[in-house]
Amino acid sequence: MEIRYLLEKPVTLDIQMRVRDFTVLLGLSGEGKTMLLKAIAGLIPARGHPFGGLAAERRPIGYLPQGYALFPHLRAWENVAFPLPRGAGRRAQAMDLLARVGLVDLAERYPAALSGGQRQRVALARALARRPELLLLDEPTSALDMATRDEILDELIREVHDFGVPVLAVSHDPHLAMLADHMAVLLDGRIAQEGPPRAVFARPATMGVARLLGFRNFLAGRIEEIEGAGMVVAGAGADWRLRTGLQHGMHPGMAVTVAIRSEDLVPGDSLGGSAPNALKLKVVSLREEGVALRVRMEGALSLDMLLPRLQCEGRSLALGTELWVQVAPEHVHVMAE
Amino acid sequence: MSDAAAIAIAASRQPPARWLATLMAAAVLVFLLAPFAALVFATDWHDFQFAPGDLGAIRVSLFYSALALALVVLAGTPLAWWLAHYHYRGKWLVDALLLLPLLTPPLAMGILLSSFYGPYSPVGGLFSQAGLYLTNTAPAFVLAQIYGAMPYYVLAARAAFEGVSEELEQISRTLGRNRWQTFWRVTLPLARLGLTAGVALAWVRAMGEFGIVLIVAYFPQGIPVKLWVNLQDVGLSAVYPLLWVFFLVAVPLPLWLGLRSRRQGIF
Repeated sequence: MEIRYLLEKPVTLDIQMRVRDFTVLLGLSGEGKTMLLKAIAGLIPARGHPFGGLAAERRPIGYLPQGYALFPHLRAWENVAFPLPRGAGRRAQAMDLLARVGLVDLAERYPAALSGGQRQRVALARALARRPELLLLDEPTSALDMATRDEILDELIREVHDFGVPVLAVSHDPHLAMLADHMAVLLDGRIAQEGPPRAVFARPATMGVARLLGFRNFLAGRIEEIEGAGMVVAGAGADWRLRTGLQHGMHPGMAVTVAIRSEDLVPGDSLGGSAPNALKLKVVSLREEGVALRVRMEGALSLDMLLPRLQCEGRSLALGTELWVQVAPEHVHVMAE
Repeated sequence: MSDAAAIAIAASRQPPARWLATLMAAAVLVFLLAPFAALVFATDWHDFQFAPGDLGAIRVSLFYSALALALVVLAGTPLAWWLAHYHYRGKWLVDALLLLPLLTPPLAMGILLSSFYGPYSPVGGLFSQAGLYLTNTAPAFVLAQIYGAMPYYVLAARAAFEGVSEELEQISRTLGRNRWQTFWRVTLPLARLGLTAGVALAWVRAMGEFGIVLIVAYFPQGIPVKLWVNLQDVGLSAVYPLLWVFFLVAVPLPLWLGLRSRRQGIF
């Protein structure tokens, strides 16, 4: 499904993107992701297609806002039955939908007596009761506990696949985007990039996108050389050089931004200067992040490295020590400026 | 100061403070209810009888208050909904104007009404031509009650509607229900407790309205005006029996609604 929506108020948005299966639109808070969903649902004035010009109640969509907005005065099954026409089969239909999301035992409960994940599934069943052509999810992970989040997400994605309804989920959570079938990145009111998550995460098109996808290291440089299998990028003062994989549209002398994920840097004391992309840097700050260690290093360039605990074992890291670090050429991502 | 010392001081201070608070609460409660106790003693239970016309006054009060209440709810609910849902420039002015009938002393309100709807005013003249006389008639009585009760109902109902999450109303629309169905299936049930409080308040205002009614509709006499008449014509002994009846018929509805709402944590 192709979506094209234009909004002027309260935020300016010009959105054109594809939605297929489970699609995630990634964007920072305040970018207007919720507004886009409300516009598609017909709840705020906007121009666009599909469904443009229809009243909210006539648009074949299912909308799950943050917090799910279950009706507090109705039991779980009555919430699911809300969009169904009055008639003999109403309760049976609602129970059937609740059974499909595995909640038939809790049908008589009020929303206040349900957990976050259970509420989400009731809201999903309620949205699906209308037989929507498109399901809109607003930050589906925001109301979930860390402990059960992944489980509930897997379940949610499996369920929407089962129902066969295309889903557009908006989120600021890159983790959710990784699980998607298709993703798009919203930046400054426009779609900055879209594609399969594997491609977008590996090759962000711009620095803004890379930042959203969790890249922490950005270096300004210039393409020095292009060979058969890869390229060499150098810093402005030629004080550092990094080998990268081959990328289209680059030519020697071109100004570029290099992006490296903190997790892609590995220490390698024994490497010396012989391995590709080995850099000798000085540790300037150390911070524990759960069981991992974040190491900030400076030298010819500044880098941020996230060391998993396996890598920390048997290594004595202290402020001021010099450290050889390395990054695989295929993990050095180059973007045209 | 150490934590232990702080706890010790708090513990030594707390009991008298709590005791004092209870005492003060009890004193205020006694102050509020004492006059009603006096009513029990002042009533001449051996010679408990109604003055002529009392039963008529009860009928008038009950019937026309119910009518006024129905009209207040019918006209006030859409207004309250509109006030709660629409936001525009200068809304504060509408809000302030809405308070005007509430802030006006009832007697003054009665004078304003009789000037506006009275037989010598253009509006009153128009109504008279249509056969509707708005002084000292049943319609005038109901009109006075509406003016006394409606602002209270509208304020309470607006607060009740504002308490309903707009998101739930929007969700209802995305689930295929239009605005009207949404109002009945989502807004009304969720605003129900606040609305019943408004109804209770309006009922009490309509039943007890004296100042406006006295000026605009001295006849037909409802309970409040009849109490005044009894006091003037007969004396105190003729007031109490009617007052008892007033409590019996006017109080149960708001009391029941109030208790019900309290139990559900609304107030």
